[in-house]
Amino acid sequence: MAAGQPEALETLRQTIRTDRGFSEETSLPFGVSALDQKLGGGLAFGALHEIAPSAPIHLAAASGFALSIAARARKKSKSILLILPDFAGYEAGYFYGAGLDLFGLLAARLLILRVPRARDALFAMEEALKCRALSCVISEFAGDGPDLTATRRLSLAARDHDGLGIVVRHCTSNIPSAAATRWAVAATSGPRDRFGGLGKTAFHLSLIKNRRGPCGEWTLIWNHHDGTFACAANPVGLAAPAANRPDRAARAIAR
Amino acid sequence: MKSAQRIAAVNEAAFRLGLREGMALADARARYPALATADAEPEAELRLLEIVADWCERYTPLIGLDTPDGLFLDISGCAHLFGGEDALRRDLQRHLMQQGFAVRAAIAPSAGGAWALARYDDIFCVSVGNLKQQLLPLPLAALRLAPDIVASLAESGLRTIRDIADLPRAPLAARFGATLIRNLDRALGHEEETIVPRLPLPSYVTERRFTEPVAREDDVLGTVAHLAKELSRALERHGDGAQRLQLALFRADGKVQRIDVGTSQPLRDPERISALFDDRLAVLADEYDPGFGFDVIRLSSLVTARLDPAQTGLGSEDEATELAHLIDRLSARFGPSRVQRLMANDTHIPEYAMRAVPAQSQPPQFPGIKEETAFDSLLPARPIRLLTHPELVSEAVAEVPDGPPVRFRWRQILHEIVRAEGPERIEMEWWRDEQGMAPSRDYFRVESRTGARLWLYRQGFYGGRGEPRWYVHGMFA
Repeated sequence: MAAGQPEALETLRQTIRTDRGFSEETSLPFGVSALDQKLGGGLAFGALHEIAPSAPIHLAAASGFALSIAARARKKSKSILLILPDFAGYEAGYFYGAGLDLFGLLAARLLILRVPRARDALFAMEEALKCRALSCVISEFAGDGPDLTATRRLSLAARDHDGLGIVVRHCTSNIPSAAATRWAVAATSGPRDRFGGLGKTAFHLSLIKNRRGPCGEWTLIWNHHDGTFACAANPVGLAAPAANRPDRAARAIAR
Repeated sequence: MKSAQRIAAVNEAAFRLGLREGMALADARARYPALATADAEPEAELRLLEIVADWCERYTPLIGLDTPDGLFLDISGCAHLFGGEDALRRDLQRHLMQQGFAVRAAIAPSAGGAWALARYDDIFCVSVGNLKQQLLPLPLAALRLAPDIVASLAESGLRTIRDIADLPRAPLAARFGATLIRNLDRALGHEEETIVPRLPLPSYVTERRFTEPVAREDDVLGTVAHLAKELSRALERHGDGAQRLQLALFRADGKVQRIDVGTSQPLRDPERISALFDDRLAVLADEYDPGFGFDVIRLSSLVTARLDPAQTGLGSEDEATELAHLIDRLSARFGPSRVQRLMANDTHIPEYAMRAVPAQSQPPQFPGIKEETAFDSLLPARPIRLLTHPELVSEAVAEVPDGPPVRFRWRQILHEIVRAEGPERIEMEWWRDEQGMAPSRDYFRVESRTGARLWLYRQGFYGGRGEPRWYVHGMFA
């Protein structure tokens, strides 16, 4: 491409977005440069994302991660829709309004829809993604969640109306999906505070599928005072990728 | 009744044989041993009367029950739709007789007059001019008087309405009660009598009648769209919006199906109204059975509120109304109680601290939401997910009697606790301590070796009555 073309393309995209009434931001940055780079600037708006706990005990961490994304998305006065099928609620409990201020969320911003079946959750999510008055739609699925066709419909609805859709499955699955990113979340121990308590909330994230770049693993620490993420230093030192191993070459020559 | 079984109703054959209401059953059986009887069921009869009233709603929405076996219909303003009052009466009588009822109907300018004419005379349709003339020859029981008053009037030689019409009123009222004079005035039309309607009267009604009954769902939905446009025109003329809409579908065989839809904000946009009914009918697909088709489809607004036109930007929809419309559609589809907002309750008991209220009943804007919210670090930490019922854990071992457990088994997984915060003591309400259970709970926020954080409590004390029990109540992120 010529030098001037990427900018021209970008302005054209921006014009189309403003004409349609979409907001100016196209992605939600995490604030951790290593992560944001791999995501191409941040978590894309106008797309569907999938989050699953790496083990069933980490379901609360997965839904917490989803809420932390929703809390920071777009204007803080817009409502967030949470869709919960009945069975998902029996297994894992319901969202507790009193605990939401960990993510800076007012209970008044939440709109909760309890649907009888997973099929109804898909219908409701599609309808909700078309509504511009919501900043984010989060839907939980126990058991098999949406398959390729369903995720494709949802991501099309999100793209056409610039919505942010998050599907939280209750267990990781290999079902092919049309989501833009796929995460496996586990809770880890965060840095201790000096009073001997539990310390900050920390998530161990594995990006399993990423349309805009490579995958990876990070440990992020949530700072509830600022509402931001910080990256934890990796406790296990990883060896640099060895492109040139002179000792091995020497051994080969010696043989 | 009066320690004897009495006959409540007789059919025509029994009437011809000489049996009457009020006669003792034993006497009747003595005369005709092979008499077929059945128990009287007043509740079933009332239900049947209500079904007939439902059917009669196609003529007018203002129907009052005249138990045990009559109906009052206020047809002012409705008669022209049927080609006149007499045509309406004949249509109603013919249809009900086809359904197997024996019907007597009369139309009069007053409710009392109509009652008298229907039950005691053969004249069917009376106008204002000759009402008094038609009522005069009727017996006094036609004034809806109690039998003892009728009997005492008969003793004084007063048997028909003509006898008392011209008598001085004060002595009559003094001797026989004020009801006599009041019912007389009502029958003659000198005093207003209002019919108490069975169902709440809608403020706006539009309907469509079909010569051929419609059964296909597409036709019904198309009719709803037309009716919504007419209704919205009527609403706009008065500056109102509908908050509760009802679609009444009158089946050709008599059954009436009513579908209600509520909205959070007053609404008059016809596309949105028909979208709400589309959603509701999609859910009710199984129960909604057109049978042979619908004769009449009526859309009415039961509850309205003032809706002033608001200035909107060019091409941009107000976000609050868009959210309200989404809530309405989801409520129409799944039921208003399933679309919820959380509100805080004034209690320290964790399971009651948050309450789910239907989102439709909440005002659309929360005036207190600020853009930035400060995290209140003095609040005790609460989990983001709470189990509906605390789950009992087994094999819980604690180091010190007041302290958190060292390990416990929950849902068949053994958790080893690495760090814990607590205890936070929450005393239950003292008035709930019925079985003598120790009502207080000591909550701990624990982190297991896997990294998961749970909210755990101990109910009871070591060394007290019985063994204490440990429960998992919630999970932290």
